[in-house]
Amino acid sequence: MTTATTSPRTADAPTGVSPRSRPAPRRRPRADRVYLWFLLPTLVLFTLSITMPAVMGIFYSFTDSVGFGEFNFVGLNNYLVMFSDPAILSSYGFTIGVALCTVILVNVVALTLAIGLTSKIRAKTALRTIFVMPMVVSGIIIAFVFQFIFANTVPAAAQALQLGVLEESILADPDLAWISIVLVTAWQAVPQAMLIYIAGLMTVPRDVYEASAIDGASAWKQLRSITLPLISGFVLINVIIGFKDFLGTYEIIVGLTDGGPGTSTRSVAMTIFSGFDNGDYAYQMANSTIFFLITLTIALIQLRLTRGNARI
Amino acid sequence: MSHVAPTPSRRAFLGGLAGVALAAGLSGCATGRGAQEVSFHQSKPEAIPYFGGLVQDFNQQASGVRAVHDTSSGLSAGFARGNPPDLGCLNYNYEIVRFQEQGAFSDLADLAGEARIAPSIQDLIDQYPTYPGRTSVIPYSMMAAAVLYNEEIFAEHDLQVPTTYSEFLEVCGALEEAGVTPVYSTYADPWTVAQGLVDYSVGGRLDVAEFFEQLRAQGPDAGPEAPVSFSRTLREPLEKMLEIAAFSQAGAASRGYGDGNVAFARGEAAMYLQGPWALGEIATINPDAQIGIFPLPMTEDPEDLKVRVNLDLALWVPEASNAQEPARELLRYLITPEIADAYNQDNLAFGVREDAPAVQDARLQDLQGFVDRAAFYQGVSQAIPRTIPFENYAQGIVTGQSLEATLRTLDEDWARLARRSETEA
Repeated sequence: MTTATTSPRTADAPTGVSPRSRPAPRRRPRADRVYLWFLLPTLVLFTLSITMPAVMGIFYSFTDSVGFGEFNFVGLNNYLVMFSDPAILSSYGFTIGVALCTVILVNVVALTLAIGLTSKIRAKTALRTIFVMPMVVSGIIIAFVFQFIFANTVPAAAQALQLGVLEESILADPDLAWISIVLVTAWQAVPQAMLIYIAGLMTVPRDVYEASAIDGASAWKQLRSITLPLISGFVLINVIIGFKDFLGTYEIIVGLTDGGPGTSTRSVAMTIFSGFDNGDYAYQMANSTIFFLITLTIALIQLRLTRGNARI
Repeated sequence: MSHVAPTPSRRAFLGGLAGVALAAGLSGCATGRGAQEVSFHQSKPEAIPYFGGLVQDFNQQASGVRAVHDTSSGLSAGFARGNPPDLGCLNYNYEIVRFQEQGAFSDLADLAGEARIAPSIQDLIDQYPTYPGRTSVIPYSMMAAAVLYNEEIFAEHDLQVPTTYSEFLEVCGALEEAGVTPVYSTYADPWTVAQGLVDYSVGGRLDVAEFFEQLRAQGPDAGPEAPVSFSRTLREPLEKMLEIAAFSQAGAASRGYGDGNVAFARGEAAMYLQGPWALGEIATINPDAQIGIFPLPMTEDPEDLKVRVNLDLALWVPEASNAQEPARELLRYLITPEIADAYNQDNLAFGVREDAPAVQDARLQDLQGFVDRAAFYQGVSQAIPRTIPFENYAQGIVTGQSLEATLRTLDEDWARLARRSETEA
C-alpha cells in the first residue's frame, strides 16, 4: 500500500510540469501514454502474483479445499469455527501485542539514534553505516545468531555475574520468550525507521533552533516543542508502516522459538503458513482473509492520515 | 531422518515453487522426445547422494525412460498445481497421509504383490486413514528408535540395561548419585520432545494404534469428557514421562538437537532419547563412542517392551502423474531385493519385505528381535494431524505447563477438527 501512496505523486509530478513549459494541449496525453507503459510491467506482475492469488485465496476460504483435488462450498463455516478457535485467537493476541511493543521500542530507539546521528558528532558517516548494517542481514540469519546468544551467551554471562533471573534462557520461559522476539525484531527494524527519522530531521530548518536558543530554550524543550511537532508526519509513517510489518513477523520467530515454548509465541503468519502444508488450506485461507482485512484497515488509516499531512 | 521440520522456511517454500515451475517446463520439453522423463521426488537429506547414484544406474540400464532426481520441490504446491512428481519416495507421515486420504495416489496393488511387504509393516500404513480399496503407498524402509545409551558409562557404574520402569528409575537414580547426568534432553526443538520422551512413554505403555482407532470412531463426539480421550488415556503415561524428564540436565529447555548430539557423543550424559538418525552425527563427533540401544520400559513386565518405528521411506505414484508407466518401472527397480536391502543396510534402517535380511549395524542388532516379532508401535506424535501443534504442546508439558490443561486443549483441538471434517463431508 505504500507504493500506492507514493506512485501517483511521482507520476503526477512530471505531467504537472510539462504543460507549463510547453503549453501545446496535444502533448499531454501522449506523455501520459509513455508513463502508462512504465506502469504496465508492474501492473501485470502485481495482478498475476498478488491480486489473483489473493482473490483465489478468498474464494477457497468458502470451501473445504485441502489445497488440491475436489472441494465443496461450506459457506461461512470456516469463519465461524475460526472465531471460536482458541489457537487462532491467541495467535492474534500474541501478534498484535508483540507488534505494539516492537513499534514503541523501534521508534524510541530509532528517533534517539537519528537525533544523535544528525547532531554535530565525529565519525557520523561511519556510525550511520554501522547502525544501518542490521538492515542488510537476512532475518532468518539474525534469528539464528540471536537464538544462540539467548540460549548460551546470556545465561553464561548471567551465571558469571550471579544474576539469578537471566541464568535460565528467556527463550525457554513461556512468559518471557516474547521479549526476545520484540528485541530481535526491533534490532532488525531500527535502521529503516532511523533513516526515515534522519531524513525527517534534515527537513527541520536550522534557524528555528537558533531562534529558540536565543530565547533560552533547553535542549529538552527544543526536542518537545520544535523537533517532535515538525517531524510528526515521519513519526506517523514509522509507526504505521512498522506496525503493519511487525504483524507479519514470521522468520524471526521461526528462528528464535519456533512458536514455543508450547504455543506461547505462535504468530498469525505461522498459523496460516502451517495450514498450507498440513491440509488445513481452506481454513487458514479464511484466517488469512481476516488478517488481510486487518492490515488493509491499517493501510487505509495510514493513507488517510498521511494525506492530511502536507509536510510529507 | 524421521523428523520433518515443522514449518518449511519461506525460502524453501519459494524455492520449491520455482522448482515445480522449472520441472513443469522441463517435462513440457521432454514430451515428444525419445526417452520419457520421470520426476523422482526424494528429499531425505542423508539419502540424497545414495539415491542420486541409484537414479544414475537406473538411467543407464533402462531404455526409453529417464529419471530426474528432484530433491527440493514443494509437495503441496505440486499437488495444488496438478503437477506432482511422478514417483515419490518420502517419509510416511501425516503430510503424505492427507494425499492418500483424498485419493491422490494411484493404485499400486499389483506392485505391492511384487514388493512382498511383511504384514506387520503393512499394518503401519493401515493405521492411518487410507483410501478405500486402493494400495496407495508401498513401504520401502523402516526405522526403529529407542533409548540410546553410553555403554562405557553404564559399565563404569556397573549398571544393567533396565527392562522395567522401576529398574529404569533406579538406573537414573544411581547415575545421578554418581554425579552423571542420566538423560540428555533438548526441549528447544519441539520435535525431539514429541518423538523421544512423549512417543516412547506413551508407546511403551499402551496400544497407540488401538487408542487412535477408538478416538476416531467417536468422530465429532470426541473431547475431554468423551469415554476415550487424550485427557483420560495419556495422562498416566505422561505423568511417568515427567518423572523421567526430571532426570535431564540443567538448562535442557534451551538445548536443541545439535547440542544434544554433541553432548551425548562426548559422554556428558548416559542416555539420550533419539532415533538412529542421530547415530551418524554422534559417530562423526566422537568416533570412539560406544552406543547401545534399548526400548524405554514403561511397565513392570519386561514382556511389554516395544520400540518406536516409523516408515522412513514409502513409495507412491500420484494419480495426476502423466508418466505412470515409467514411474512404476522405476518403482519396480527400487524394490528389487538387492537394491532395497543395500539401501537399508547403508542407512541404518530395517527392510520391509517378508524375507528382508537382519540389520548388520552392531548398534541396531539389539532391536532386531523386537522388529522380528512386531513388538513395535508408531509414535503418538505421528498419529495426530499436523494442523494440531502437538510438538509444541509436548514442549510445553516438559517446560512446566500444566499437563492436565494441555491434554484438555489437545482434546478440544481434536474434537474441533473432527467437527469441522464432519460439516465439510
